[in-house]
Amino acid sequence: MAGWRAPDLPQPGARQPRTPAPPEQESTIVNGTATTAQRRPLPTRSLLVQSAWARRRDRKGFWFVAPFLAFFLVLMLAPLIYAIYTSLYTTRIIGGTTFTGAANYTQTLQSGEFWSGVIRVIIFAAIQIPVMLAIAFFFATMFDLGVAKYGTLFRTIFFIPFAVPAVVGAVMWSFLLEPQFGPFVHLAHALGFANTDFFSSNLILPSIIVIVIWEWTGYNMVILYTALKSVPRDVVEAAILDDTPLWKIIVKVKLPMVRPAIVLLVFINTIGALQLFTEPQILSYFETQAISVNFTPTLYIYNTAIAGGQTQLAAAAAVILGLVIVVISVGSLFLRRRRGEI
Amino acid sequence: MSASATVLDQGQQPAAPPREPRRRWADPDAIPIEFYGLCRGTVTLVTTLCVLFAIFTLIPIVWLIINSTKTQANIFESFGFWFASPFVFGRNFGLLFQNVDGYGIYFQWFGNTVLYAVLGGGGATALAALAGYGFARFRFPGHRVLFFVVIGALLVPITAITLPLYLSYAKVHLINSIWGMILPAMVSPIGVYLMKVFVEVSVPVELIDAARLDGAGEFKIFWRLALPLMVPGLMTVLLLNVVTVWNNYFLPLIIFSQNQLYPLTVGLGLWSERAQNSGNAELFPLVVLGGLVTIVPLIALFLILQRYWRSGLLLGSIAN
Repeated sequence: MAGWRAPDLPQPGARQPRTPAPPEQESTIVNGTATTAQRRPLPTRSLLVQSAWARRRDRKGFWFVAPFLAFFLVLMLAPLIYAIYTSLYTTRIIGGTTFTGAANYTQTLQSGEFWSGVIRVIIFAAIQIPVMLAIAFFFATMFDLGVAKYGTLFRTIFFIPFAVPAVVGAVMWSFLLEPQFGPFVHLAHALGFANTDFFSSNLILPSIIVIVIWEWTGYNMVILYTALKSVPRDVVEAAILDDTPLWKIIVKVKLPMVRPAIVLLVFINTIGALQLFTEPQILSYFETQAISVNFTPTLYIYNTAIAGGQTQLAAAAAVILGLVIVVISVGSLFLRRRRGEI
Repeated sequence: MSASATVLDQGQQPAAPPREPRRRWADPDAIPIEFYGLCRGTVTLVTTLCVLFAIFTLIPIVWLIINSTKTQANIFESFGFWFASPFVFGRNFGLLFQNVDGYGIYFQWFGNTVLYAVLGGGGATALAALAGYGFARFRFPGHRVLFFVVIGALLVPITAITLPLYLSYAKVHLINSIWGMILPAMVSPIGVYLMKVFVEVSVPVELIDAARLDGAGEFKIFWRLALPLMVPGLMTVLLLNVVTVWNNYFLPLIIFSQNQLYPLTVGLGLWSERAQNSGNAELFPLVVLGGLVTIVPLIALFLILQRYWRSGLLLGSIAN
């Protein structure tokens, strides 16, 4: 299918842009296609005919987008609308399904179980994200500066967990932290911490933080490393000629220049943290009483819908969680735009 | 490489300073670290920290490899980071083909995962290629609004769309159907966005216009001219989509109740639960080896196709 090659064309492999869209490209995302400037019609008759022809041709472009739009409508928009519709009804054993308006929403918003999950993921995010970003930024700068030996090798190793599905990552760490035979418990014992139980209610959240840091540091490091690579070399060279110490170059030159990437990672990770599900769900299989059915908002939704059978209530909770995340994303977008970061 | 360097030094550019021998793992463009005026031992300290973090990164995987060769009793009792006899990797591997205690067959789940990933990821890539090309190179009525909607869909969290899908499936009888897993995987707004950006950089408008003047139809231009130029971008999007399907846990967990339909993630989750709660079957070695067999193809894929995920991550980070 891709084997055919037009005779006069450059080889497909030869045109790969190693560095993709430059930052300016972002403006074209919102403003439409980049072809606009090249098609301004001139007031000659033949060109007017040509522009009518171009308009008809442009209309054909819709058929390229149509298949995706059809799938998008049926499998994303329709279910979302259906979920919102369902969330407005309540089914009772006596009385059947009745329209109850915002009742499911008020019930969710007044439910201590839902909020305890929300507070837990906020605490989780507040600890996990700064720690992970600090580690990722440290290693990204060291690799960028070439201070660490074998940087490429280490970068590849650090990235490996990104290829590991969260389920397998959680299973592996469950074994390592398991209170009866897990090697880490023996290690803690050898270091003088007898009776350490990583699955107790005190240590379960730190354990999940370690697992998630293990899973995502490499990914964050690669993004920061790429951002650092785009810091102009002459700025750093000028700083070196001024005898600026290295730590000052990192904090005063490099850090401000990659701030947009850091802000972006904070939001990506926050959104991920709010949806925390797989790790606590798998850990709960390993006989951890510390993980309740409403440990995180997503676990609350899952258990309310599947185990509890209250699908309409769960739909309301899903809509609320979705709205919170959309508000955070859109809010961050506006904040960054106002600060002129994008 | 050294041969060409000496040719350069002797012949055409006698004034050029002698090149430093390139270090194998070092970045060729980096400023040599001698210029930073570092304290003694900084390189050693940083490299040590790298080694420590590498150990942290590799510990679970090493543990998985070692313990996939053990019996259940040895997983519990022997030292976790060394082998113990009997060495039963072969027996454990054979059990992955069997229905252990009626909970399901590992390699059936593996086959399911490959099927879902290939159909879902491949379909998503095909739809994204068409749509990305359409958005990048045509200004049909409403293209701006439609693209804005697609970008907006990037903000919808997976969790918030999964439960609605489940509720809709209950209405249209797609619970316990493989299509319930494959069809939503084909909707990839990020893929559409990445393809649009990629077409803008790699398929020149002049080339398309030239083909139009030659009388080629729009779809023929896409198929024969644009698509070959889009191959690197297609690989990136395909890789991202395949990995997304491979890792998906929440959707299959709630829509499948028959274990012969499970993907690996749900199957392994079920086994971990059963391993704890039912005493008779020796499921722990299977969970360990199953986890290992799950990650090996993915790590191999990532190491072989590094170039593509790197550009994908980059584009993805711009997307947000």
